[in-house]
Parts: sequence; C-alpha cells; structure tokens
Amino acid sequence: MSKVTAEKMTEDLLRPLLKTSWHFYVLVVILGGIVSLGVGAFAYQVNQGIGVWGLNWPVFWAFDITNFVFWIGISHAGTLISAILRLVNAGWRRPVTRCAEVITAFALMIGASFPIVHLGRPWLFFWLAPYPTEREIWPNFRSPLVWDFFAISTYLTGSVLFLYLPTIPDFALVRDKTTGWRHTVYGALALGWSGTTKQWHRLETAMQIMAIAIIPVAVSVHTIVSFDFSMAPVPMWHSTIFGPYFVAGAIFSGIAALIIAMAALRKFLGLELYLHPVHFENLAKLLLMMSLLWGYFVFNERLTTWYGNGPSEIGVFWATQRGPYAPLFWTMVICNFVLPLCILSFKKLRTITGCVIASIGVVIGMWLERFLIIVPALSHKFLPYAYGNYRPRAPEILLLIATFGAMGLLYTLFSKFVPIISIWELKVGEQPELTEPRETRDEAATLWRTHP
Amino acid sequence: MAHRWGMAVDLDRCTGCEACVVACTAENNIATAGAEEAARGRAIHWIRVERYWEGEFPDAKLKFRPVLCQQCSAAPCESVCPTYASHHTDEGLNAQVYNRCVGTRYCANACPYTVRYFNFYNPSWDKPLHLQLNPDVSVREVGVMEKCTFCVQRIKAGERQAREENREVKDGEIKPACAQACPATAIVFGDLNDPESQVSRLAASGRGEKLLEDAGAEPNITYLKRQVTA
Amino acid sequence: MTCMYGLYDHPAAAQRVYTQLKRAGLKDGDITVISAEPFEAFGFSHRDHSLILFRLALLGGILGFLTGVGLTVGTERAWPLVTGGMPIVAWWPNLIVIFEMTMLGAILTTVVSLLVTGKLPSRKRSLYDVAVSDGKILVGVPVTGDAEAIRKALDFEAAAIKSAEFG
Repeated sequence: MSKVTAEKMTEDLLRPLLKTSWHFYVLVVILGGIVSLGVGAFAYQVNQGIGVWGLNWPVFWAFDITNFVFWIGISHAGTLISAILRLVNAGWRRPVTRCAEVITAFALMIGASFPIVHLGRPWLFFWLAPYPTEREIWPNFRSPLVWDFFAISTYLTGSVLFLYLPTIPDFALVRDKTTGWRHTVYGALALGWSGTTKQWHRLETAMQIMAIAIIPVAVSVHTIVSFDFSMAPVPMWHSTIFGPYFVAGAIFSGIAALIIAMAALRKFLGLELYLHPVHFENLAKLLLMMSLLWGYFVFNERLTTWYGNGPSEIGVFWATQRGPYAPLFWTMVICNFVLPLCILSFKKLRTITGCVIASIGVVIGMWLERFLIIVPALSHKFLPYAYGNYRPRAPEILLLIATFGAMGLLYTLFSKFVPIISIWELKVGEQPELTEPRETRDEAATLWRTHP
Repeated sequence: MAHRWGMAVDLDRCTGCEACVVACTAENNIATAGAEEAARGRAIHWIRVERYWEGEFPDAKLKFRPVLCQQCSAAPCESVCPTYASHHTDEGLNAQVYNRCVGTRYCANACPYTVRYFNFYNPSWDKPLHLQLNPDVSVREVGVMEKCTFCVQRIKAGERQAREENREVKDGEIKPACAQACPATAIVFGDLNDPESQVSRLAASGRGEKLLEDAGAEPNITYLKRQVTA
Repeated sequence: MTCMYGLYDHPAAAQRVYTQLKRAGLKDGDITVISAEPFEAFGFSHRDHSLILFRLALLGGILGFLTGVGLTVGTERAWPLVTGGMPIVAWWPNLIVIFEMTMLGAILTTVVSLLVTGKLPSRKRSLYDVAVSDGKILVGVPVTGDAEAIRKALDFEAAAIKSAEFG
C-alpha cells in the first residue's frame, strides 16, 4: 500500500469542507424532511396527549423507551474505539476515532431527547434537574430516572469535549488554509491554537485523562439505563444481569453502527485511502466477539428464568419464546447471533459489504431486543386481569424513523463542516521510526534534563 | 397517636356488583374514556373488580376481587418517581401529588398491582355531567398519573371535623366512597394503629391475607379469604 | 517584541537547530517550537514535564465528589420525604449520583486546565506562521541580546529565516 503524503492527506480530508456536491444538498433535504415529520409528530403528541400513541394500561412504555435505550446504546461506539484503543496504543484506531466519537455525541443527543419526548407533561422536563426552585423541592435521588439524568449529562459533556478537544488542531489547519467566513469561524473554533510543544503535550495529557475517565462513565451510563428496568419489581425486569447485559449490548450495537457509518463515509467522501478493509476487518472481529458475548448473556438470562419457573416470569418467558412476541424474538436471534456468526466467522465473507450486512442486522436486532425487554414484561405482570398487549401507532413509528433521519442528517452536516478523520492523529501514525540520534550521549545528558 | 389508614376487603361478602367502582368514579372526578378509548386500554378505574373463573361449565365458579391501591408501606412506585409526586405520608397513605407529576409513567410500571392510571388525554365530561364534579377533588390534566387515594378528601374532612369538635376520629366515621357504597359492607376502612378498630380486628383475622405478598411492597389492605363450604 | 524564527522541513532538522540554540546560551523557556503534529520521538517535545493536569483532574474529582455528597445528602435532609420505605438519606442511590458528579468534576477540570495552561483561547498574536499548516516546523526565539548568534544557530539547517513582530 503506497504511503499517503501529508499534503495529500490534508487535501483529501479537507476536500469535503471546501467543495460541496449536489448530493449533499439532496441528502440534507431528504433527511431534513424526515426529521421534520418526526418533529411534527412530537408537536401533535404534545398538543393532544400521549393518547395519540399506542400506549395503554398496562403497557406504559414501548417505542419511546425502546428508542431511548437503543440510541444510548449506539453511543457506546465512540468510547470503545477512542478511549480503550487509545489507552492500549492500537494504531489502527487513528482514522476511525473521530467517526466513532461523532456517533457517540449525536446518538447521545438523540437518545437523551426521549426522556423528554416520552413525558406526559414534557414542558416540565426540567423538574428532573437539580436546581434551587421557589417550590423548594429537589429531584428524588432514589429514582433511576434521576440517575439517568446525571449519567447521561456527564457522558454527553464528556463525549462532546472528548470529540472537540482533538478537533482543535484540525480547526487550526482549516483556519490556515481558508479565507473569508471560513477563516473567521474555524479560527474561533480553533481557540487560537498554534501547535507549540507545550500545547501538544497538554492536549495529549488531557486526552489521556479523558480516555481514562470516560470509560467508567460509559460503563456506568448504560448500567444506569438498565437500572430503569432492574429496579422495578416487574417479571423478567428485576434481574441482576441487566447491568453487564446492557453494557455488552450497547457496545455491540455501537460497533455495528460504526461499521455502517464508516462504510457510508468511505463511499460518499472517497476515503478509500484512509479507511482500509483491515479497519473493517478489525471491527468485524470485535463485532463477532460481541455477538458471542450477547448470546452468552441472553442464554444466562433465559436459562435462569426457565429453570426457576417463577409463575409470572415464566409467562413473560413463553410470551417471547412461543407466544405473540415469538416472531420478533426469533428475528432478533437471527439478526444478532446467527447472521453475524455466519458472515463474520469466515475471512472470505468479512468484506466491507459483508460487514455492513451483518451490522445492519445487528442494528435491527438490537432495537428488537430493547423492545422485547420492555413490552412483553409490561403486558404480562402479576395479576392476570391486568395483562394487556400493544400495537404501535403512526406518531410513534414516525418518531422512530425520524431518529434515524436525525442521525443521518447530523452526521452529514458534521462531515461537511469538520474533517471526519483526525488529520493530525493520522499524520502522527505515519511518522517514521527514529533510527539515528544526532547527539552524543554526553551532549544529550547536559542539554536535556529529563526531570525538572 | 398518628393514624395509619388501612382497609379490609371481605372476599366472601363481595358480590361483584361494582357499586364501589361507580361510587369511586363519581366521588373522585374520574372521566369515562368512551368506547373507542376504553377498547384501546385507556379506561381509568381507581378501584376495579377483577373476575376470575375457576373450573368448567357446569361447575364453573366465579371469583371477585376488588383491587385498588394497596397504599404499600414499601411502595415501589414511590422510590422511582423522579419528582416526589408519589411519596408516603405520615398517616400511611401513598400520596399522589398531581402538580409534581411530569408523567414518566415509571410508577405505573413499578406497581405490582397495576393500580395506577394515566391521563392519556385531557379528561372531559359531556354536559350536564360536568355539574356533578366533586369540588373537594381536583380534576387532573393530561399527562398526569392518578390512583386511589383512600378518598383522602374525606379523611381530611373527617379529621378536620374531629379537631373542631375537640375529639378523636371515631372508628367507622370516615368512609371512602367505595366502602360507603358497598351494599354487602365488604369494604372496611379504618385506623390500623387503633387495635380496637374494626379494620385492625379484621386484619388480624385468620382469613386475612395480603395480595401479592411476595412482591415485597408491604400492602396495607387485608383481603379476607372466601370461606369454603363443605 | 521581535522574534526570529526558521521554518524547517523535518523534525530532525528542528531538533538540531534547537540544540544549537541551547549551545548559544538560550533557555528552554525562550525557544518556541511549533508544528502541525506532535513529534514525541524528539527531545524538543519533552521539555515540559509537569504533571499538573493529572493533579488538577484529581482535585476536580474531589470537588465533584463533595458536590455530589452535598447535593444528595443535603437536599434529602432539607426536604425529607419518605419514598418506598427507604431511608431519607439513601446511600446506595446517592453513590450513583456521587460517582457521576466525581467523574464530571474530573472531566471538566481537565478541560479547563488544558485551556488555561495551553493559553487557549488566545486573543493576542503570538509567534506563528501559516507555513506550519503546510507541514513546516517553526523554531523561533525572541530577539534579545545577540541577534547574530541566534541567526547563526537558526542557519545550522537550511531554511527560510524570518523575523516578525508579535505580542
């Protein structure tokens, strides 16, 4: 593979910022239209009431919370790639980190909108925030929903900063290469960055600290989201396995989303020189491993339920396995387990196309998994008189489609205005090994003190 | 000594007539959902009579159980409410503060008895039914959770009356709408902290059992089992 | 003040010029090296060894921890409401919120420290040349004292030597 020069790198990766094709406008219009439909559906629901959805007594959560958990799960892509691979010094992460971190930031924003969207009185959502009010009341810290607020805010703040900090040198690059409004705007975003050795050292240290800090936060976020279920005495929710199960599922769906995003970028922005098949291969191996891990958790959970034969739990169990939710359940198993195993276990099938097909399956399967955790349990709690069922209605379906539209739109806009691959990190990766020192040892000893 | 309100429901006396349901709906300003919305599962019944069949025709037996908020001492609905809209009062009631409710519906999911209801739409009453609204009970707006309060407005009124007359509340003086309406006097309401009250004596009865005791919510309603005839 | 600087193609050249400048008697703190990417393999990148960011992150974590404790325990005591039979000050749930506040404190402190110690955002013009974004490495010093010696050191490797006013 020929080495790409630094000049070509800069030129290729800045091209999307400087040149706009008609594809971009068409994409923005279509995706923007889809998002507007979702916003309209939400406005309709705020105006009329949650009654326009398919929710009922006893199924009080369905698509809304499924979407919430699903998108928060997708957001775990960035952390794994950026933070963990950065800490273990895996060089292949370099072209991939920013794509992944962007998914995290936007997926979090989309996911975090659902705790507001699903409220009966969404205009009062800020009552979940801790602030001094003339009502003199504070949030109930015993509630998992308040834990969600803190966890997601912390993770969102951390992820956005984790995304923004290493973009500063790239903004400086764009600032220097452009004139006019671009020069001003990117100059402002670059915060006057020069690139002195002190600034580089500080930036790399800050990234190191952030990487160490963001990993426990990411693990805690999806664990706390799982607590929304495991803290309630609902059959098949009140399970101790939910914490690790959800985190594994989140990383699983995150990697799948990342593979899809990278394949799309590679195609639409012509990044064949930077996103190599080996990157997809490596991610595919991770996806395969997460698929096996997912299967392990599901087996654990279901074996314990079946073996324990608790009256209400077994009802929920059979509802998913053989009852009304069986078609969705087995689709989920095929999408999350059978398909990835079949495609990703064989090197010949681990092409970029193969990886994308497996990843799309995983995204569908993981959405189904969230749905199947929530709705069958709520429709089959303890008192038989209180059993129910659920069918989605148009506003909920529109909202779901709009979330994917929003992700696409935000991603498209981001890759238009910010280099989607971290240029300076890529250049560092291409730096040759230093082979000959030019100072003698004595000179070095006198000139360079390694400790203050 | 502070009151601790509780209830005993005699399943032997309950005939399933649902007078309690009607009385509760009238007393507490509960709107009817209409046929279409009820079919969608949006009907609100703070107290409902659950019917279960046992056996096959012609030996089928019908069982009734009025299910209402159990005012649990360790209520799972209280801990999960982010805005303290659901909390426990000093008198042992599970209070639902409509003004604080933002409608997350977590409490409804957490309730093992599924006795919490949500206002999917703004409740409305066709004229002239709006004239029979109880002025002592607030009308809830869309997006707010509601459930049986043990007719807290009647409890407060009874306590106020007793205070004004400088005496204790007499046992049996305060009756929630369901207890008042029941023709079989199957529902008994009173102070569990008063060992002499009828509800305390019934709660200690050998026929007494709690609904879904294993769920660990510590309900304060004692159901008296049906007496089996030979 | 007037600064004199050279633009070099290769970090090894920059390193050699740096050594020459040190031999000419200039101090670490006066010599500025600017590049479009960090060069960890070279000595000029290792002048700054402060662990201040780690220590500040730790301090931020402690501040976050204390805020979390104050927020949860303080507000639970200020308006004590019984929920679910749980104690008024419920430690297990509080720990979750306290953990998140601790991490938030560490993260925010790290970012603020980075900005402050990196002197970002910087308003006033400091030593810089847009050629850096073309891959050149800038090595420069403020001209105080012997300008000829500085020029000689910068000339050690072939480059464009420039001088300009900054700051």
